[in-house]
Order: sequence, then C-alpha cells, then structure tokens
Amino acid sequence: MKALIGKITLWRAVSTIILAVGAYAAYLRFFEGWVVSTNLTDAQPWGLWVGFGTLCGVGLSAGGFCIAAAVYLLGMERYRPLLRTSILLSFLGYCSVCVGMLYELGLPWRIWHPIIYWNKHSVLFDVSLCVMCYTTVLALEFSPSLVEKAIPWKGLRRWYLKWQHRILIGLVMAGVLLSSMHQSYLGGLFLIAKGKVHPLWYSPYLTTLFYLSAIPAGMALLVMVLYLCVRSLQAKIEYSLLQDLSRIMMILLGVYAVFRALDLVRNGATHYAFMMNKEAGYFWLEIVLFLAAPLALLSWRKVRDTPLYLYWTCATVVMGFMANRLNVSITALDAMSGAQYVPKWPEIALTMAVLTAGVIAFRLAVLYLDIVPRYEEPKEFRWLASDGAVAEA
Amino acid sequence: MAKKKAILVDVKRCIGCQACEQACEQAHGFPVEHPAGLSDKALTFVDQKGAKSVRRMCLHCEEPACVSACLVGALHKTPEGPVAYDASKCMGCRYCMIACPQSVPKYQWTKLAPYMKKCDMCYDRVKEGKPTVCAEACPVGATTFGDRDELIKEAWNRIRTEGDYVPRIYGTEEFGGTSVLYISDVPFEQLGFVMPPTGNEPLPMLSAAALGESPTVVLVGGSMLSALYWITRRRKAVAEAEKFGKFEGKGK
Ligand code: SF4
Ligand code: SF4
Repeated sequence: MKALIGKITLWRAVSTIILAVGAYAAYLRFFEGWVVSTNLTDAQPWGLWVGFGTLCGVGLSAGGFCIAAAVYLLGMERYRPLLRTSILLSFLGYCSVCVGMLYELGLPWRIWHPIIYWNKHSVLFDVSLCVMCYTTVLALEFSPSLVEKAIPWKGLRRWYLKWQHRILIGLVMAGVLLSSMHQSYLGGLFLIAKGKVHPLWYSPYLTTLFYLSAIPAGMALLVMVLYLCVRSLQAKIEYSLLQDLSRIMMILLGVYAVFRALDLVRNGATHYAFMMNKEAGYFWLEIVLFLAAPLALLSWRKVRDTPLYLYWTCATVVMGFMANRLNVSITALDAMSGAQYVPKWPEIALTMAVLTAGVIAFRLAVLYLDIVPRYEEPKEFRWLASDGAVAEA
Repeated sequence: MAKKKAILVDVKRCIGCQACEQACEQAHGFPVEHPAGLSDKALTFVDQKGAKSVRRMCLHCEEPACVSACLVGALHKTPEGPVAYDASKCMGCRYCMIACPQSVPKYQWTKLAPYMKKCDMCYDRVKEGKPTVCAEACPVGATTFGDRDELIKEAWNRIRTEGDYVPRIYGTEEFGGTSVLYISDVPFEQLGFVMPPTGNEPLPMLSAAALGESPTVVLVGGSMLSALYWITRRRKAVAEAEKFGKFEGKGK
C-alpha cells in the first residue's frame, strides 16, 4: 500500500514538472516567438509539432473508429467492453491534435478560417474539415459517459441519451468515412511536394500507405492503453480480447508490409534502402520497429499469451509508426532540402505537456466515469481469462 | 479579360548589378542590402552561379502548387498572371512552403504574428498597367515585363538571332508553365534551376488525383457500411427469432 502511494506521488511530481515546463515553453512560443522556441526554418517549415503532434496524433487515434465499426456495424459484440475506452482514447487524441494546432499555426486565432474560406483543391483543407467534423463526432459518441454522470436532471439526461442513441449508427458511419478520408489525406499532403520528398517515402500511393498503417498503429496503442488500465486502474478486461486485437493487428501489419514492399519496387526506390546514409538508417529503423520486429514477435505464441510481452510488442509498433510519420514529414524533406532540422527543447516540452494532459484526462475519466468495468478495491492486478489463456502479468 | 503578363529574365544579358534587388527592397521597405537568399525580407535575389548571375524569385506558375495547396485560398492566380496573396485569409499553416516546387514562399519567423512572404509581381502596379519595379530598374534589359505571348516571341527571336543561347525557354512548359520566363547561354541544369521530377505535369494534379476519390469514397463507402449494418441487424434479428423459436419448440 505504501509502495502504491509512493508510486502515485512520484508520477504526480513528474507530471507536474512536465506541465510546468510545458507552460514555460508555451510562454516562449507565444511571447518570445518562433526563433526562441523552435528550430523551424524556411527549409523545414513543419517540424515536430506537425510530424509528431498532428500526423502521429491523428494516426494513433485510429482505434476508435475501428472498434465502433466492429461493434455497431459488424455486430462483433465481443468488443463492446472496449468501446468506451477506445472512443475516449481517440477523442483525447483528436483533442490533443486540436490543441496542437493552437501553437503550430502561425496565426492560431484564425483557426476557424477553413469553415468559411474553402479551397476544395487543397488536401489540407479536406484534412482540416474532416478533423473538425470527426472531433465533433467523437465528442458526441463519447458524450453519454459524461452526460449520465454529470447531468443531475433525470428527464434531461434521459432525453439526451435517447436522442444520442437514435443518431448513434449515423455517427459511427460518419466516423468511419471521415476517418478513412483524413487518415489517408494526411499522406496525401505530401503528394504535391513531389521532388521535395526522398524517394524512400514518396509514392503516388501515400494515401493508401497512411491509411493501411494507421489502423494497426491505432490498435497497438489501444492494446497498450488497455494493458495499463488493467495494471494501474483495476480495470476488468478479458485478456483474450487483447489477443484477438493483436491477431488482427498482425494481419494488418502483414498487409501493409507487402504493400510497402511492392510500392518501393514499383517506384524503383529499393536501391536507396541499401545506401550507407542517414536516410537508409532511418528507413530501416522504421521497418524494423513497425514491421519486422512485431511480426516476428507476434508469430511467437508465448509473446501473444504473455500480457507484458504483448504490451512491449505493441509499444514497438507504436514507436515504429512514429518513426514512419517523422520520416515522411522530417527525414524525407530534410534529405532533399538539407535543412538538418532537430527540434528545440520547447517544441519537445510542449508536445510532452499536451501528452501528459491527455494521460491525466484519460485517467480521471476512467476513475470517475463508467468507461471500463473496474474492481472496487485496489488489488493486485489480474486479467479476466475467458478461455483459460495464461493470465498472469 | 486582361492580357496575361509575364517577366522575361535573360541570364546572358544580366550583369549582376543587383538593381532589381534594390528596387524591390525599396518598394517593400526592406533593408537595402544584398541578401544570401530568398527570405521574408528579400523577395528576389541575384544568385551567383560561377560567372553567371541568376535572378531568383517566385515564378508565378500558370498552375501554381501553392495556390492549390493553401487551404483557405489565401493565394490565387490572377487573370493578369501574378500569383497574389491575401494576407487577411492566411492562417500561417505553411503548407504553401511545403508545396511550392521552388520553395519560394518564406515565413516571418521573427514575428509574433507571422505572415507568408513571396513576390507578388507588383500586382498593384500590374493592375494599373504599370511594369514591375524590378523590370523598370534593370539597366540592361535583362529583366523585361510585358505580355506573356509577346515575351515568348521575343525570347525565341533572341535565341534564333544570337547563336549562343541554349535553345530553350525555361517556363514555357516547366511545371505546367510559368509567368516568369528564363533564357540563358549556359544550360539551366548548371544554374541551379529546379527541373520537374517527371514530365511537366502541373503539381496540383497530384493532389487532385487523391481528392478526386472523396465523392466515390463517401458514396461507395457509405452504401457499403449501410449494407453491412443492415446485414448485421438482420442476422441479429434472425438469431433472436431462432432462439425464440427453439424456446417455443421446447415448450411444446
Ligand atoms: S513558384 Fe512557388 S510560390 Fe511561385 S507561383 Fe509557383 S508554386 Fe507558387
Ligand atoms: S501559410 Fe497562409 S498562404 Fe500559406 S498555405 Fe497556409 S494559409 Fe495559405
């Protein structure tokens, strides 16, 4: 018990420090300017905030629409217990992206401009409209968890829940369509920069590649989060669900691997992978973390059956995914422009602060709302095993 | 409609005096000095490439990547030729900088409310029928301003009559054509000109190809999802009915 309190206060201290440093970084960004707070230049106008905050933030939040579609549209009732967790996770992910916009845009008070000024030829316009709509959809999908606890008037509560339930299927379908579009268009952003993107990452099929990679990455993050919920928040979750998720993830990773390989061959870019340079190094880092290592590990039964191993395998997938997005948005552009961009500390600090705020919000939601079934008392954590699968941590 | 205007830069005639730079800097109230490259305070600069001087600036593409990229339509191709910028729409996303094949748009990194900066071909003057300040300043006629088709004729004329030009005008076809045209007596590849990655397809077509799919995605995807949902609901109903039926059967 003492150990538990000690651990919590340690994490509290760490998060407080991260938030405080982040606040100072935000001060630097808004009052001291770009030169003090970032290493962005004309040659590398998009850095960590876009590459990590937006591309990874959106990509890793793909879990929500997948689980919602599985449960509501495909009738896979098994996954219903994961529904609220995945929606919450995606919702917070998109919130972090929207907050990120506030410091990554040069004129953030004009963040609403795409609502009235339309350029239908711009991929970025489509992305921003989809992200706005989908964040709204997620907020509506998530709203019952909040409404059922926070609205004290029974009539109003019932009325809201009934009304929300009526449009739910529509929301889920809209969510799938919107997600499919903007997940791929994020890759489509770089299509127009042909000639400015290193051939290892440029492809006319960037849209497909982004879509195919976001789904397994979103699942990997979901598995990690569920693991942590069971470990630290006394959640009751059947471990076999995580095993199933990781099996689907493995298939999707396999599909992506084949597509990526064929695409490289088609673009005649394979020889770049075997050069002795920075780009080839980052390329292999991405391939090993996102594809090779997880595929090898997941085909090993022991890994799939051991929660901790599965957790770390998914962590590898998530890191590999980040490597991919940062490669496309930074390495690939740097290689052609020679910008040599390395983020400055306030860029990292602000990113970390937003992530930490997300984690805190997630934790509070799980503790105070009905997101996932939990044990009343803090216990040694354990998994629900439905089919006798090994359930030890 | 107004005739399409253009600028013709003759690298062979250019003597590297930087008068165009200074005229541009004065017109915009920028510090008058020779810059190291294009920036938010230098919308044109004279690049020294060996013995040659090459003016760099926005090429005012016929089908500009920056215009198609800007999500709020802050950039637009005017009927007169210049690619103009409406600062009141810009939100500072910097996508134009990523999209432009020449990496022309620059950003005011030192400001707290930064805007994008690039040459607008003195659009306010051009609207009134005046030439750009750089063309007016050039003492040797290496930068000239005029109707685009007239300038192309003039350029071919120079190439034909004075034998030492490279037989090519950079800007008639590159990236779908531009409103700033270059001729030179040294191959463009050696002067640091950006060559189109493949063919001369206008870059906006690459995004258009991706975006063109959205209506299909919505239609096909939407109906597929509805079909799936219908099947799922039907399956559930059938399963329930069967359960019910079994129950009845047992009861009999
Ligand atoms: S050169 Fe670049 S900034 Fe100028 S019009 Fe073309 S795409 Fe736009
Ligand atoms: S920085 Fe401004 S001009 Fe450039 S794409 Fe963004 S909104 Fe448009």
